[in-house]
Amino acid sequence: MGKVSYMRLKGSQNLRLRLLLSTLSTTPILIEDIRADATWPGLRPHEVSFLRVLEKVSDDCVVEINETGTKLKYKPGIVIGGRHLIHDCGTSRAIGYFLEPLIVLGLFGKKALSIRLKGATSSMTRLLGKSLELYNYDTVALICITNDSKDPSVDTFRSTTLPMLKQFGIPSEGLDLKIQCRGVPPHGGGEVILSIPIVQDSLKAITWIDEGMVKRIRGVTFSTKVSVQFENTMIHAARGIFNHLLPDVHIFTDHKAGDQAGKSPGYGISLFAETTSGCFISADTAVSYGRVDDEGELDDKKKELSPPGDIGEKIASVLLTKIEQGGVVDSTHQGLLFLLCALCPQDVSKVRVGKLSPYGIEVLRHIRDFLGVKFVIKPDPSTETVILKCVGCGLKNLSRKEMLTWDDIPFKDLLCFRMASQSTSLIRMGNLYEHNKVHNIAVNGPQKFHVLAVDQSIR
Amino acid sequence: MAKLSEISHQKSKKKNDGSNEQGHKSHRIRKSGASAKKKSKSNPNSNEGLSKEQKKINNPKAFAFTSTVKAKRLQSRATEKEQKRLHVPTIDRTTGEPAPFVVVVQGPPQVGKSLLIKCLIKHYTKHNLPEVRGPITIISGKQRRLQFVECPNDINGMIDCAKFADLALLLIDGSYGFEMETFEFLNILQNHGFPRVMGVLTHLDKFKDVKKLKKTKQRLKHRFWTEIYDGAKLFYLSGLIHGKYTKREVHNLARFISVMKFPPLSWRVSHPYILVDRFEDVTPPEKVHMNSKCDRTVTLYGYLRGCNLKKGTKAHIAGVGDYPLSGITALADPCPLPSAAKKKGLRDKEKLFYAPMSGLGDLLYDKDAVYININDHFVQFSKDDGANEEGVPKGKQRDVGVELVKSLQNTKYSVDEKLEKIDAREVADREVLLEPVEQYQHEIKDEDGELDEDSDTEDDDGLESLDGGKISDRKTSSQTIGDSSDEEALYSSEQRPPTQNNFKEQLDFHEGRVRRKAIFENEMDIDDQKDSGEDDEDGQDDESDSTDNDATENGDDENLSTHSDFSADDEEDNEDEMGNASKWKESLSERTALRHNINLMQLVYGKPASKSSTEMKDTSEEESEDDEFFKPKGEGNKKSKEGVNDNDVDIDDCSKFLSNASIKDWKSEDLIASIRDRFVTGDWSKASLRNQLSEGAPGDNDDGDDAVFGEFEDLETGQKYESHQDDIGDSHKDDDLAAEERRLKKLALRAKFDAQYPSFTTYNPFSLSFLMKMMMAIMTQRLVMVKEMEVDTLIRRKLNWRQVNIAELNELDEVTRIEIEGYRTGTYLRIEVRDVPFQMVENFDPCHPILLGGLALGEENVGYMQVRLKRHRWHKKVLKTRDPIIVSIGWRRYQTVPIYAIEDSNGRHRMLKYTPEHMHCLAMFWGPLAPPHTGVVAVQNLSNNQASFRITATATVLEFNHAARIVKKIKLVGYACKIFKKTAFIEDMFTSDLEIARFEGAAIRTVSGIRGQVKKAVKEEIANKSKKKGGHAKEGIARCTFEDKIKMGDIVFLRAWSQVEIPQFYNPLTTALQPRDKTWQGMKTVAELRREQNLPVPVNKDSLYKKVKEVQSIGYPQVITGSSAFCIKAQRYTFSKRPLLENRRAVVMEPHERKVHALVQHLQLIRNEKIKNGNSRKRRRERHKKWSVQRKSKFQEETERGKEGKVHTRGKTKEKAQKFIILILELSAFAGASGI
Repeated sequence: MGKVSYMRLKGSQNLRLRLLLSTLSTTPILIEDIRADATWPGLRPHEVSFLRVLEKVSDDCVVEINETGTKLKYKPGIVIGGRHLIHDCGTSRAIGYFLEPLIVLGLFGKKALSIRLKGATSSMTRLLGKSLELYNYDTVALICITNDSKDPSVDTFRSTTLPMLKQFGIPSEGLDLKIQCRGVPPHGGGEVILSIPIVQDSLKAITWIDEGMVKRIRGVTFSTKVSVQFENTMIHAARGIFNHLLPDVHIFTDHKAGDQAGKSPGYGISLFAETTSGCFISADTAVSYGRVDDEGELDDKKKELSPPGDIGEKIASVLLTKIEQGGVVDSTHQGLLFLLCALCPQDVSKVRVGKLSPYGIEVLRHIRDFLGVKFVIKPDPSTETVILKCVGCGLKNLSRKEMLTWDDIPFKDLLCFRMASQSTSLIRMGNLYEHNKVHNIAVNGPQKFHVLAVDQSIR
Repeated sequence: MAKLSEISHQKSKKKNDGSNEQGHKSHRIRKSGASAKKKSKSNPNSNEGLSKEQKKINNPKAFAFTSTVKAKRLQSRATEKEQKRLHVPTIDRTTGEPAPFVVVVQGPPQVGKSLLIKCLIKHYTKHNLPEVRGPITIISGKQRRLQFVECPNDINGMIDCAKFADLALLLIDGSYGFEMETFEFLNILQNHGFPRVMGVLTHLDKFKDVKKLKKTKQRLKHRFWTEIYDGAKLFYLSGLIHGKYTKREVHNLARFISVMKFPPLSWRVSHPYILVDRFEDVTPPEKVHMNSKCDRTVTLYGYLRGCNLKKGTKAHIAGVGDYPLSGITALADPCPLPSAAKKKGLRDKEKLFYAPMSGLGDLLYDKDAVYININDHFVQFSKDDGANEEGVPKGKQRDVGVELVKSLQNTKYSVDEKLEKIDAREVADREVLLEPVEQYQHEIKDEDGELDEDSDTEDDDGLESLDGGKISDRKTSSQTIGDSSDEEALYSSEQRPPTQNNFKEQLDFHEGRVRRKAIFENEMDIDDQKDSGEDDEDGQDDESDSTDNDATENGDDENLSTHSDFSADDEEDNEDEMGNASKWKESLSERTALRHNINLMQLVYGKPASKSSTEMKDTSEEESEDDEFFKPKGEGNKKSKEGVNDNDVDIDDCSKFLSNASIKDWKSEDLIASIRDRFVTGDWSKASLRNQLSEGAPGDNDDGDDAVFGEFEDLETGQKYESHQDDIGDSHKDDDLAAEERRLKKLALRAKFDAQYPSFTTYNPFSLSFLMKMMMAIMTQRLVMVKEMEVDTLIRRKLNWRQVNIAELNELDEVTRIEIEGYRTGTYLRIEVRDVPFQMVENFDPCHPILLGGLALGEENVGYMQVRLKRHRWHKKVLKTRDPIIVSIGWRRYQTVPIYAIEDSNGRHRMLKYTPEHMHCLAMFWGPLAPPHTGVVAVQNLSNNQASFRITATATVLEFNHAARIVKKIKLVGYACKIFKKTAFIEDMFTSDLEIARFEGAAIRTVSGIRGQVKKAVKEEIANKSKKKGGHAKEGIARCTFEDKIKMGDIVFLRAWSQVEIPQFYNPLTTALQPRDKTWQGMKTVAELRREQNLPVPVNKDSLYKKVKEVQSIGYPQVITGSSAFCIKAQRYTFSKRPLLENRRAVVMEPHERKVHALVQHLQLIRNEKIKNGNSRKRRRERHKKWSVQRKSKFQEETERGKEGKVHTRGKTKEKAQKFIILILELSAFAGASGI
């Protein structure tokens, strides 16, 4: 037990997934040959940045990288979470890259996580200074690009990903993503605050195969440092497509100006369709000038941005394609869905997705390797969808502090305890029978309590 | 005693007679005689006999609420009780037959544990058990199996037993009373999840006096109740008849056990565990020959309990350590439940029992063989054995020649084996088990020979026969047969039928014992290579037998063996697998289902046996050989897979699926029409059909079928025949589905019922009474539902999960099912563990059950744990920080060094040197992590000879951390070296200027309470003599400011906190690796070391108490002391001894003065006298008055008494107060009059 045995992996693929799973399953990993043959060997800035986030949210995790950055040793620690953390994500990847793993990690922490993510800019110090003032050092925050064509946008996270978590029994209180500033490539400057509650014990297994019918389509367009007219054009174009199918389409605009608009001009759209059974299917993109460090930088600079009308139409079409494909989630969220299913208690989870995405397949493989959970994958010919079943690995939130359930409290009327879900409300109980409020809490089910002080004489 | 037994015997006889009658006599109330008279006397008012309800009806007012407070309290109590009843049930994830329930029989030595087990076994199976060793599995009823285990008498064994017991029978010597072991065991049970407990009083025949017996029973019962709960069952075993407990009492006890319900315990339902009932060493014998101390490979057998066991799970063997499970195989149940035919009770044939460690149950099943033990007496020795018998004189060892021959035989055999094994290894990484097992048995045989001679004498003495250690199980088997050979033979013949006809027998001669190895037919073709060598010997036998084999049974067994193959043979080719499958997959529906899975699953997970590009390897050095060996294949694998999927290991990490190459033009009408029904504006019925269809039967294919598979066609080859087979499978499936649906409905109903009435869980679902009860339950549940909607929905949701789980998993075929959910609870598993220290084999003792517990994710990691700990109230001393304790958490036992702490109100964890006397405190220690809310038991002394209570503390895990934040108080003391107005230079507090810099701004205080602050380090010129003056500068002088000027003699304190380091030490208890009777010795406490080394406790002189110096008393003038409230106190002070001036001087008076003085004195005398007289008169008058008042009031009282009680008392107190005031007034008047 004294010797640490590492799980050996190769290549830079799915680095964040591997790191995430390694943390959840407390398996140390050793990754070799990270872009060993590439012109720019080693880890990319966003990957390093992600490792930094991991260090921030967890306790005693050990990261070792060799000189060229082609070899990475990671020994996971305990996810602590905590409020008022700040992280600067850099500009090489959008915030979606960091949000996906952070959401899962935050659920299994000791404390509820609240992080502010930012995109690095030249005026970093100013931003940081401001945030420190505002948040008094206590929230995790990220600075970064909020919208990007590569990663799911923050709007999609708000509209689709967070509601998905509720299916797994995660309380909606404390689950939030606030967009402070928007930033698009190349210079970023966005800022979001993500807060995630912890799961008290474990997730809840789901059977989620009813896709339902699309009842409404909503969306948000945004524009930074460009005219509002861009947004209106996009909305108009998108509506033009949906009008054939559904009248209930509302697309909101979110025009940012000044500090909130980040550093670069750009615009984008995020659409999602809600079905009668509570599924959300989303599509999004953002348009801006390319990143500075991308290849063919000069061409990108020169190239005209695609017109907003085309973007609107394109994203609307993508959304319809995704709806056509079926499944309770869209292809972007498949990975997250599988992961959450695998983390459930040892019950059968059953989900329906459209065509398996390459990322989803990778997630399935990694889940098998790290958690030992295999899915039964069955095509459903009549609907052209795939039904996946698995028995969860029964991961429990081990890092949480011990909470007492109502039954555990031996002499209830002599205790003074605090409800864990709302850490602020303190209930002092002189006599149980006088406090009907407390009684109701007990009736409402398996809420947990954090005992602050126990009168020692009664134990 | 004889008399007593006779009576009981008669009683039992009577009862037996009575049992033949149908129905019981109802109780007849006495109509005459003493008791009737007594009854009639007791209720003259007839009200007595009425029930409470009737009384209420008769006199409703009497039962109305008199006080609102009371009413409220009653109401809230009622709700409280109701709430308590409502609880979310722990979801029971077990499917299929439950594993046998473990009944642990525990008690102090010589209390009759083994006898009780023997009697119970006799009761259940009608067989005599010569000796109790290891777990004994029996079938106790149609739906129930039990496994009896005797708890060893040491604390380690007790801790382990507490972890797997479902029911603990606590045996108590009634004639002696409770012993510490019982309470220790109870405490352990309580902290590791409290299973069911039943007390059993034995040795009651030692009481001659019936009254005394009754009283003792009563006393013990009540003591037992206080420890568990009021009404806890305590069973009495009155005495022995022919050295056994009376049949009737054993029968009753068995009845109690049979109706017992076993609630799930939270730790156990989340961890798989196995109580090992068979243990074999399967190390290749030549390895052992070369080095007898090499690491061994062992196999452990037992029923899987707790939760499902997945492959790749790590496990902890209690007393040994953590090991990965290198091979898991599901075996046929050695003690299966009887078939569910409709009949009452158990047939004699079905009363199986299985106790390989006790040497009973002559059939032993292995992965690929069945062993039948045959007694030595029946063995006809082959040629060399004849010599053997001659060479062995009684009670002596074999001579050298025989040894040589034997060893030659051994080696020859193992060479064959070696050859075969090499083959086997290359073909597949399959373990060759058979031969090693046998080999192992050879070895132990040697010692067997010695022991056999005096087995009769040793029979009684359990301890001595343990000397054999590892061989014990073999030995007993031979003894058993010797004792009751005819019985055994009969028994074995009974046991055979369920598994007999699908294996062949093969006779092997091994050192004086014939072992008939049974080989399953199907094994022959899988590994005929292996068997070919042996086939030469008895080939004809095989052939003749093989024809008899039953096809269907064969298929079943194939199933089993193939999943073992699946797991073991990583490198086996897939095509081969499919070839096999075509043989044994009979039903088409199953086959199609399999195809479905494999196609997509293969796509995702690669070929069943191959691993993905992310190869898992261990960095441990020993496996490097294997790695190299397998490398080429692995790489080839990878390449082939990459061809299919992504060809880049450095592919961009992106969850978005970007490659939507062709975006369709969604404006065209055709396309819109195609997804119209996915919107609420479309056809709802079609949309709902879409969901239903897919849910119902996946076989119902529409036109869309081809299109779907078209997507996968280019990737998967074996696609074409799929859809056809689907259709064929359909008809089969429909029937199944209907049946399944019905069954599920029933199950759901049953589950509902179970939830409402958890006590009836074990009822047979088909019995009439069950149905009736179920109806009632549903009706009542309706009522309840209205009331407790929320809780109910919660419960129902949970229960639905169970149904869903079962339904979903039943759809899968066996192989995938095991892959998905792991091995199910209740299966009999064979688990192979490699690299176990040889001591485990050497010191194996069947009397000490082995517990193998699975570890959940992250539990094998090490870190700091924080527990809430309380010293046990019976432990005599408080615990000292850093004194090692042995803790038992989860499955583990280990020694660790705790630091005790307490949480201050500001959240700081302050170190404590000792645990509080009667309070919880925190303890932090280093060790393998356990999830929060796990119970902990701490022990300091493992020895058996300790008289006092061995459990030192109990605790619960709160959380774990990688960093431990415990602080202790530290006081830095300094002295002023120079004082300005309010500033002073403080020296000796810090040692360096750097240290001062750390403490700038820290609060300090003098002893007299003047507060201050540390400012900065002092420049050397000011503080000390500068270097120029010759003195060398002293560092660490701080400039401090105070709120007032301090004195030179003041001592200055700085209170700070320093981090306490928690020792990173833990030492797993390896009690299974040493002789069990030896006490495990770990780290010693400081006190123990001192005692051993004869060292005195170091004394700090400053800490010793000295006589307090007298403080100079301060005198106060009498004026002050006299009037002050502390006048009495002030008297203690002695005033100046010298008399005052007035008293000292001599006064010489003038004659006139003298006269005046005399007159004044006279007058004063008169006056004093007058006052005296007057007072006495006054007092007398008053006394009279008081008396008359009293009389008057008394009269008044008496008249008023009947009216109102309260006023009366109030009046009385008032009067008292008045009296008191009068008294005070009087006194003051008196004082005034006397002129003081």
